[in-house]
Amino acid sequence: MTGFIEFLVYLFTIGGIWGMLSLSLNVQFGIAGLINLGHVAFFMLGAYVSTILVVLNGWDITFGIFAGGAAAAAFGMLMALPTARLQQDYWAISTLAVAEILRIFFLNTSLDGPYVGQALGVSGIPRPLRDWFNAEGYSNAAYNWFFLGLVMACLLATLLFCLWLSRTPFARTLKALREDDAVPLALGKRVSSFRIRAMAIGGAIGGLAGGLFAHYNAFIEPEYFRPIETFLIWAMVILGGAGNMIGSLVGTLLVMTLYNSSRFVPGWLNDLFGWTIDGRVYGSLRLVLIGVIIILVILYLPNGLLPERRRKSAQ
Amino acid sequence: MLQVLFDSLIRTAELSLLAVGVTMTYGMLRFANFAHLEFAAIGAYLALALSTGAGLPLPIAAALAIAVTGFFGIATDFVIFRRLRKAAPIMLMIASFALGIVIRETIRAIWGPSGQSYGLPLVRWRVETWEARPLFITPYQVTVIVSAAVAIVAFYFLLSRTRLGVAMRGTAENAPLAQASGIDTNGVIRWVWFIGAAFAALGGVLVGLNTQVKPDMGGGLIIEVFAAAILGGIGNPYGAMLGALIIAVAENATLAINWGPVLQWAGFEAGDFVFIPTGYKAAAAFVLLILALLIRPQGLLGAKR
Amino acid sequence: MTEPLLSIRGIEKRFGGLVALAGVSMDVPAGLVYGLIGPNGSGKTTLFNIVSGFMRQDAGTVTFDGRDIGRASPHKVARLGLCRTFQATACPTRMTVMENMLLAPQDQLGEGFVNLITRPHRVRSQEKAYRERARELLAIVNLAGKADEYAGSLSGGQKKLLALAQILMADPKLILLDEPVAGVNPVLAEEIAGVIRRLSGEGRNFLIVEHNMHFIRSTCDRISVLDAGRVIAEGEPADVLGREDVLRAYLAGPATRPAA
Repeated sequence: MTGFIEFLVYLFTIGGIWGMLSLSLNVQFGIAGLINLGHVAFFMLGAYVSTILVVLNGWDITFGIFAGGAAAAAFGMLMALPTARLQQDYWAISTLAVAEILRIFFLNTSLDGPYVGQALGVSGIPRPLRDWFNAEGYSNAAYNWFFLGLVMACLLATLLFCLWLSRTPFARTLKALREDDAVPLALGKRVSSFRIRAMAIGGAIGGLAGGLFAHYNAFIEPEYFRPIETFLIWAMVILGGAGNMIGSLVGTLLVMTLYNSSRFVPGWLNDLFGWTIDGRVYGSLRLVLIGVIIILVILYLPNGLLPERRRKSAQ
Repeated sequence: MLQVLFDSLIRTAELSLLAVGVTMTYGMLRFANFAHLEFAAIGAYLALALSTGAGLPLPIAAALAIAVTGFFGIATDFVIFRRLRKAAPIMLMIASFALGIVIRETIRAIWGPSGQSYGLPLVRWRVETWEARPLFITPYQVTVIVSAAVAIVAFYFLLSRTRLGVAMRGTAENAPLAQASGIDTNGVIRWVWFIGAAFAALGGVLVGLNTQVKPDMGGGLIIEVFAAAILGGIGNPYGAMLGALIIAVAENATLAINWGPVLQWAGFEAGDFVFIPTGYKAAAAFVLLILALLIRPQGLLGAKR
Repeated sequence: MTEPLLSIRGIEKRFGGLVALAGVSMDVPAGLVYGLIGPNGSGKTTLFNIVSGFMRQDAGTVTFDGRDIGRASPHKVARLGLCRTFQATACPTRMTVMENMLLAPQDQLGEGFVNLITRPHRVRSQEKAYRERARELLAIVNLAGKADEYAGSLSGGQKKLLALAQILMADPKLILLDEPVAGVNPVLAEEIAGVIRRLSGEGRNFLIVEHNMHFIRSTCDRISVLDAGRVIAEGEPADVLGREDVLRAYLAGPATRPAA
């Protein structure tokens, strides 16, 4: 039983970080209609920048995480620049390429000597207040509960921010851009400025999530940041309902539970039916399952489980 | 130098076969089918199962695998994409991404993650040329180039000399008009799926012949193939082949070129020998893709839209 | 004579080898509903696109309200007070009618982050004022009851009315309407004409492209006729529409002329 609770603590910590990612993609896609297929780049950049600043330059963890968010925001603004010239689908493909270029960069660059960075990744990333918890004699489990609280606080703050944001006139103009540029342009909106800011906001949140992840996991490597991760974030947003922030969190919970179900489902299947499933095979099957669910959602529930809510004008 | 050119030629052959289908579906149905690359893996694994598994001779196994993959392509349209003709392109892209993962992970679950081969003997010919270093060629590489060339010539005749080819071009250019002039556009779309998937399957078998059969052998090439299709102009199959050639040469040349003198000439402080590490090979295609999109989004030969 | 509100001089535009506009000049004075007519392919929409900044001319100048806008981008043109509607592109469909209206005002405080954070009360009071104005305008175009409906659920004619109301919300000095009654049933067309006349009486300036001659006759004070990229006639609708060369241009149809 304690094992299961520990697993739940882990699931919600990781799920909380991913919730921030799906919320930030929902700002970009759900509100602004930007088809960003390289969202994992923000996560990667936040994780790496914070790690480099904290591990190699001795920064404070808090500053490191915020610097990671700022770097990802700046990267998002850069990514938004070509939107003015490119057709939507071409831009989408180029975002996929940008994220891969960034990953290839980290995969081939040694950060400090031959044993740090590249495919080896970076280990020994400090965890916030870990020393204090050790000094006071608290258990590992207690620390994990603390980190869960930290992540949940960040997630709540992100959710409140996104909910507030989606009610602002700024978001209203972004929503107009989802369908076509012509009308907003004819109304005098500086379209590129809105897109750049939407990418910056989504990038910042994604970068913060990356920093949190690096300092939770204490280890990062380029392998963590493959295009499949971006797909999982998309799955969360599409499943939950584009444009609905609560939906994103529901989508995150479902996708993360499925993704991490390899921890218990093979055991259950064995107990109940006597089936033995190889762990590696199940690792593939859970992705097949997520893929099938996404296809079914797109075919039969294109607005997701919680469709975007219509905003009534207050009388 | 010759080795670089030869390697580029093999790569061009493989990428061309994959990019032709991508550019045709993109041009006709207006969406980027990310699952297209998985047809290559399906073809390669089916050929593997039929040859080393069922004991058929490899050419027959490959032909069967290619045909089956072609029908599989039609099936994906029938089950998924046909129902989304009126949906936003992003929904099609995400659905195809999901389908790609379903296919890749199914293959991984069935055949395992590690690379496999068709079990052919290792043969390598050493060819002396005017260059100091000899050229190393395997018979499989020759097979790759010859098969791809035959397929592409056949494709050219199909497109330019047959009624189906005319119907295909007409549908790509203006589907409503083609339909009004009596072309069965749904039939044409089925053929496009069949041909695209079959070409990809042939590409997959050839990649497997030259290197290994792996679950991500198709999906891993996604950006290279899209870069080739976009470089050549979406909807333009010959453009896609040209794009494949450019990507292939760029990838191999980036690594082969000694950038030292180039950097010195450009005014940077650099040693006499500066080579780009092999790890960056993939990045060459990606950077080219982004440059192409920024500088000439309609492609080199112009998109057919 | 006072300076015209919009002055177009020698506009030329080619697409490949096709000449779409071959030196178009016209003046749109303030205080009028000005019509621009011409057969299909005569270059009306191209001229609209150039004036509103969505397309670049090969030669010629556009002066609006004393400023050169010949090379300005669409959003700058709009900010100077020249706003347009579109023939086909409707208002964003997945936004409510009210959201569409609130989208239009320029210089919204709530579009900037600094204001949202430092002056939330100002943002809120501005929103409130805009909402009231939107209600008034929606009442004029008979869409008051649809404020909370998605724009995508409106009929074709209602979408045109919404586009008109949305433009008014932006409070421009000159309103360009691209085929405001195309595909609209006669009753609703009559209503749109009435709204335009009424707004003109309140001092709004209009430049309208339209095929519906009845609409042009009943709405416009003055018109120009474009044919094959040139202005062939100009004057009051009753005079111009009776002229033989104008009739011939319409009757000839696009088939006998180079398409553009």
